[in-house]
Amino acid sequence: MTEEKKPGFWSNIKSVLYGMAGHDMSRYALKTRGSMEHLFILITMGDLLGIPILPPYYSLRLLPYVVPQISTWKRRMLRERDLTDALA
Amino acid sequence: MNAVVTLLIGLVAIAVGYGVYAKSINKNVMNPDEKKATPAKMYMDGVDFTPANRNVLFGYQFKSIAALGPITGPIVAVQWGWLPALLWIIFGTFFIGWVQDFSTIMMGVREEGQSLGALSYRFVSPRARTILLTFIYFYLLLIMGAFGKIVGYDLMTNPAVPLGVLLVIGVGLLAGQMTYKWKMDIILTSAITVILAFVGIWLGTLPGVKNLFLAINGGETSPVVFGSVTQAQFIWSLVTLVICYFGAILPIWRWAQPINYVAFWIVFLGIAAGTVGLLVWRPSIPADFPAFTNWNGNLCAASDCSGLEKTPLALGALWPLLFVTIACGAISGWHSLVSSSGTARQLESEADALYVGGGAMFLEMFLAVLSLLTAVVGVGATTGFAGYVGMIAAGKNAGVFAVGLSEMMSRIGVPTSFGLPYGSVFLTLMALTIMYLVVRFMRVASAEFMGDKVPLFKNATFGSIVALLLSAVLIYTGFWARIWVLFGGANQLMAALTLLLITLWLMSKGKSYMWTLIPFVFMYITTIGALLLTAYNTIHQVMTTPGLAIDLVVGNWLAGLIAIYLVISALILGWDSLQAFQRQRAASVEAKAKV
Repeated sequence: MTEEKKPGFWSNIKSVLYGMAGHDMSRYALKTRGSMEHLFILITMGDLLGIPILPPYYSLRLLPYVVPQISTWKRRMLRERDLTDALA
Repeated sequence: MNAVVTLLIGLVAIAVGYGVYAKSINKNVMNPDEKKATPAKMYMDGVDFTPANRNVLFGYQFKSIAALGPITGPIVAVQWGWLPALLWIIFGTFFIGWVQDFSTIMMGVREEGQSLGALSYRFVSPRARTILLTFIYFYLLLIMGAFGKIVGYDLMTNPAVPLGVLLVIGVGLLAGQMTYKWKMDIILTSAITVILAFVGIWLGTLPGVKNLFLAINGGETSPVVFGSVTQAQFIWSLVTLVICYFGAILPIWRWAQPINYVAFWIVFLGIAAGTVGLLVWRPSIPADFPAFTNWNGNLCAASDCSGLEKTPLALGALWPLLFVTIACGAISGWHSLVSSSGTARQLESEADALYVGGGAMFLEMFLAVLSLLTAVVGVGATTGFAGYVGMIAAGKNAGVFAVGLSEMMSRIGVPTSFGLPYGSVFLTLMALTIMYLVVRFMRVASAEFMGDKVPLFKNATFGSIVALLLSAVLIYTGFWARIWVLFGGANQLMAALTLLLITLWLMSKGKSYMWTLIPFVFMYITTIGALLLTAYNTIHQVMTTPGLAIDLVVGNWLAGLIAIYLVISALILGWDSLQAFQRQRAASVEAKAKV
């Protein structure tokens, strides 16, 4: 087993700078993706529950993309939220 | 004393505070387990709960907590002298600041990433959550009032500043377009937009541009529009609100985020240049700059004010007011919101909590010391203590920072004709980046509180306009110094309540809790005292000052009533907490008896 190489000084500085300048941007991109996933799952919800809403052909094409997201989507949907979540 | 010695004192405080005290608490009380799965790993949802590298998170935490507070607070607090301000920054961070930030992260991590609202519901009482959320709404409103006034004053007092700010905003929009629509390389985008932002700030210094903005202001002495509000103040505060409106309404990627990105580089380069300039300069604190002025922060008792158009407002008693005037930089409730809802959900390992939470707080302390020095040596070395008094009297708190920073940067070759507007743009952008977020939050909060009764509040435009109108009332009325103290009071009270929550949580886990209980008691008594004193000062001034301008009357009443509301909320929460405290103690006695 190879030992994981420790990041050097400049690599750490780069990470800190990225955290200050760009981490928020990637978090927002993730949040946008999360919202899109919610919509995507809504489209295929009928088939997940066994009630076809879209013509089955399209649902069957979409389902393979939805399945990997179901577990994280459930966590997001079932988590208790309050207003302070909107701040960070 | 030399300014570099002051910085060294700060570094020693960091070495002892972080290296000894914080590490000992971390090891002996919190006892982090590297192998334990954090909520970021356990509940990873790819959005809120996502593990991040400790260095990235350190940068994120620092950027999220260090806004206008650590810069403006120390500059205002110099009214009591530089020594009390310096001592509070150092001891506040040492004993209270990092304690709150670090423990909030640990509590969040150990309690499955729950937010402060949910935790207060569990550990204090069901109504604590509602009170806390309304409390946060007022706290954010005060941020809008305090920051909005600073931005308005900053834009109106120096005609070289507005174009720079407007062009940086324009360049920020370009950065968004380049990144998200044209899919351009981020390094190239950064280089182009940052250079353009610098050009924009320089353009603002051209005489023709300055004359144009002077004309907009109505001349060197801007005419009064209503009460004591001048034309310049009216126009630039309105511009600030319009900027915030776009920040709250437009998609984040289109407005707030790319502007904040460009602003980050302006701020980062300014701090770096200022620090290097100070180290090259190595000035001594001017002999005429008092280490301690007087108990009431009355500048006219410490300096000759006879030549000034306006006399500076005496802030009031050092205790409790100094401890709320400097909030961020010593301790701040804002940090607990960021730490619980943001950082705790991204922590990869429990062992990273101290580095991220404590480390970022100690670095913020360093920024606060640097900011203190902009006033004491930056302004002090050029215009002396009298110059500082004159600027505070004219409401140029932002100007103090700009003059100080430009003086430091001039030591590494940055001309003051550029450094001065640069410092002002720096400060304005720091305020605006928080203000967008605040209006967005207020909009969401009003939709949540009022949406079911008045469906119109669910409309984003309506919610934002209501938030901005409420902010406008605070911005256009009253005294900035009072609003700042009130904002600091709300901020510190939020911090005190978080410390209380942490204490109750530590008790419930059977851990040692005096290191959070004592800071809580100090902050709770101090901030309630500060809010009561502010309420008294504002209302007393209205009652006893004949011929006070209408905007000052309205502002003072408003400030007084908000202070009273905050005190009542804090007392209810305190009462509920006392009962929760007794419950926890009884439970721990019972548990011990069983053993």
